[in-house]
Amino acid sequence: MSVAWIGSQPVSLMDAIQNAAKLLASSRCPVFTLDTDVHGTRSAIALIERLGGAYDHALGDVLAKEVTLFTDHGGMFTTPGEARRRSSLIILVGDIPAAHHDMLLSWAGTQPDLGDRGKRTWFHIHGEMNAAAKLARQLKAVSLGAEGLSLGGALAVLRAQLQDRQVARSLGGIEQFRKALAKSQFPVFVFSGTSGDAPGLAMLQGLIADLNRKGRASSVFLPADDDAWGTALTSLWMTGFPTRTGFSNSLPSYDPVRWDVQRMIRDKEADLHVWVSSRGGETPPRGGTAAVISLSRTEAPASGAAVTIAVGKPGVDHDGVAYSSRIGTFRALAATAPSPLPSVANIVRQLANSLPGRKALPC
Amino acid sequence: MLTRLVGGEVVDPVSGGTSQRDVWIRDGVLIDPPQGETAGETHDVSGCVVMAGAIDIHSHIGGGNVNTARLLMPEHHAAHLPRPANTPLSNAGWSTFQTGCLYAQMGFTTVVEPAMAPYTALHTHLELADIPIIDKATLAILGNDDFTLSLLRNGKSSAMLDDYVAWVVGSTRALGVKVINAGAAAAFKENVRSFSLDDTVPEYGISSRKIVKSLQASVTRLGIPHPLHVHCNNLGIAGSADTAADTIAATEGVPLHLAHLQFYGYGTEGKRKFSSEAARLAELVNANPDVSIDIGQVMFGQTVTISSDVMRQFTAIGNANPKKTVIMDGDGNGGGGIVPYRYKQDYYGSLQWAVGLELFLLITDPWRVYFTTDHPNGAPFTAYPELFELLMSSGARDAKSAELNTTALELTTLASVRREYTVEEIAIMTRAAPARLLGLKDRGHLGAGAIADIAVYRKGRDIAKMFREAALVFKNGDLVVKNGKVTHYRWGKTLRLNPPPDKAMVKRMKDYHDEHYGLSLDWFTFPDSAISRDEPFAEVKCNS
Ligand SMILES: [Zn+2]
Repeated sequence: MSVAWIGSQPVSLMDAIQNAAKLLASSRCPVFTLDTDVHGTRSAIALIERLGGAYDHALGDVLAKEVTLFTDHGGMFTTPGEARRRSSLIILVGDIPAAHHDMLLSWAGTQPDLGDRGKRTWFHIHGEMNAAAKLARQLKAVSLGAEGLSLGGALAVLRAQLQDRQVARSLGGIEQFRKALAKSQFPVFVFSGTSGDAPGLAMLQGLIADLNRKGRASSVFLPADDDAWGTALTSLWMTGFPTRTGFSNSLPSYDPVRWDVQRMIRDKEADLHVWVSSRGGETPPRGGTAAVISLSRTEAPASGAAVTIAVGKPGVDHDGVAYSSRIGTFRALAATAPSPLPSVANIVRQLANSLPGRKALPC
Repeated sequence: MLTRLVGGEVVDPVSGGTSQRDVWIRDGVLIDPPQGETAGETHDVSGCVVMAGAIDIHSHIGGGNVNTARLLMPEHHAAHLPRPANTPLSNAGWSTFQTGCLYAQMGFTTVVEPAMAPYTALHTHLELADIPIIDKATLAILGNDDFTLSLLRNGKSSAMLDDYVAWVVGSTRALGVKVINAGAAAAFKENVRSFSLDDTVPEYGISSRKIVKSLQASVTRLGIPHPLHVHCNNLGIAGSADTAADTIAATEGVPLHLAHLQFYGYGTEGKRKFSSEAARLAELVNANPDVSIDIGQVMFGQTVTISSDVMRQFTAIGNANPKKTVIMDGDGNGGGGIVPYRYKQDYYGSLQWAVGLELFLLITDPWRVYFTTDHPNGAPFTAYPELFELLMSSGARDAKSAELNTTALELTTLASVRREYTVEEIAIMTRAAPARLLGLKDRGHLGAGAIADIAVYRKGRDIAKMFREAALVFKNGDLVVKNGKVTHYRWGKTLRLNPPPDKAMVKRMKDYHDEHYGLSLDWFTFPDSAISRDEPFAEVKCNS
């Protein structure tokens, strides 16, 4: 089985590394799309600093929205563990990604053992269109919404109604919600970057801040994608900044518009696109004039890529460390089906050693 | 490899005092001058002070809350000019990489991250492993988790608490235990908004005092070298000096370390009902040999406060500058608050600045007072050189005082205190004493057998400059800094205790996590290999 290709031709790993290193060394503006675990991300960022490149996550748009909630606003948060143990009132906010549904459904079978210890009740605040309707039904969540209102609009109405301000129209389910709120000592709003737009997420935090004036309330943030959030966190300690960061003269700068890698490719600012995906089944997007190096979990060359190198998936082919929203922090992953496929960090180190100067990376 | 430092003034209060003498290093370790051997490498350090590498016992350098602060404040470290980067990522402001370089350049070779939430230990250690050059260590937070509080409520045996503390310290790779506003984070989840030493946590009926005393006893019984590290109740509040005084009185013959005492040095006098009680607290510390403290000095400018004291951070939201904050009700001992803050040279800022200095100067025993800004809470650690100058020069204090709020300073004794720290006292406070407090016998002095962590400072009139740019720094014998610049990259270790886990406790932990979180214990623990560096940890022995 081949693990490295130049164009569509299978080659030795060494040849592919040499070829990719040449492309990296001659690139004027290399950009990286990352989609891997902590250690893959660490090594890639160390290489990107050396090259003077920029990086983003494969799910950069939704991740940027989640990052913006923090950089522009902040908020009050708790962990899934604390919500499971303490909250008798859980409010789903908009669309919650399918990856989190099992966890939320598992809470339905448990009873809080801390705080008010009340029987758990569920609500779902939403705009008109909602893909989370099935989850809400399974959880028997009471619907909080009104026709013609977006999620942000519904949150604004809810916030106003809870402050007893006049509203043009009321939310369905509001009286039931008031009663539930009066009984619960630690209501928790569960949201994700997919829940709504940035002002909507800020509005949610405003509502939670209101509730904390006299009582307690919090939110559980479930990232649109755990690995994407892990990449943002890793980027933060390595560079001081989240993803959508670029380096010039080894000085990082963070700019969610300037370093939006897909935009840079579209606008022909980038001349080389390094696609780093250990997720499996993902291929670099086509189009644009930038040459492509693909480090991905694949058995075939990526179509259109100048160089393709197969890598393993952390937690499957080799051990890894990834963000897990179930515990709200990083978790060590043991390989479930160990294979000889190299890790992203392994390939990135070889690339660095093949660059002029041959200096080892710091990680 | 044999290295010799020639002609320096060696300041080593533990081994040999102060004199002009040579320092010899063989293979990373200090040795007595060898007979009839020539050094492979000789450094002329005449005109310089030679000390052991400095040790910072309390600086928030890594982990979930520090990283959230980075996320909240990307603008805080955006505008720096690139310097030539001879080391990877060292231009990345507030990155782990820069942290290690900046500490090393000042001659610091060991730094303790004092607030590791046990459930986020892996995150903390991943960050620490990316801090180059220096050695690191962590204190595990306890005292707000349901497991501890339930043990105390249910009157379980002290042996069971010991087993639990030992399991947490061992599995999280900590060097000691910290308790933060004991019980308050649990109480805040039940909507309690203020919490003192004798207040009780709802549900458990356990007082904050009981938690502190139980953990203090457990740490002592387990032979954990570092005494329980206590972040008291009522941080930052006018009148908090009473809480600190009560906590100092609660040592009862057993060692206790009080963190960032400056933030508790406040009384309720004056028109603004916010005054200095530093002189009173200093007297209490002087009179109680079981207590040690660090200061948490305030210096002026923009910073971000990072604390696991979630109740206190929540009440500080109104003072956030800029207006954005993160408040986290974490699992067990996790969570906390991130509140950006600008220390202004106004009444409040001036008073806080003076309280810190009063404590530094009025506490007489340099073995029991530790040099910290509670980075970044009172100021970033990069303000250390200016702080050294303030301690060593009453003239520098007078000059700064002239810029500050007179009404505030008049409520302090600062102007009348003319003490100036000597170089020997600096060496005790920042080297010898921290090593002893943490149980690190291999450092903090320059005696034969110690690891060759050495800071060489060029003597000069500008004290801040002297400490900002060490002339030479050696870490384990490797020359890592020359003329204030990092010249060599290496990876330090994270120092940890390794008490053996009690089998019954591990079983109990498995059951507890399965029942209450629906997850197996391996979600919360990790192997050393997860850090992905060669030998990331070094073991420190417990007292027998
Ligand atoms: Zn602190």
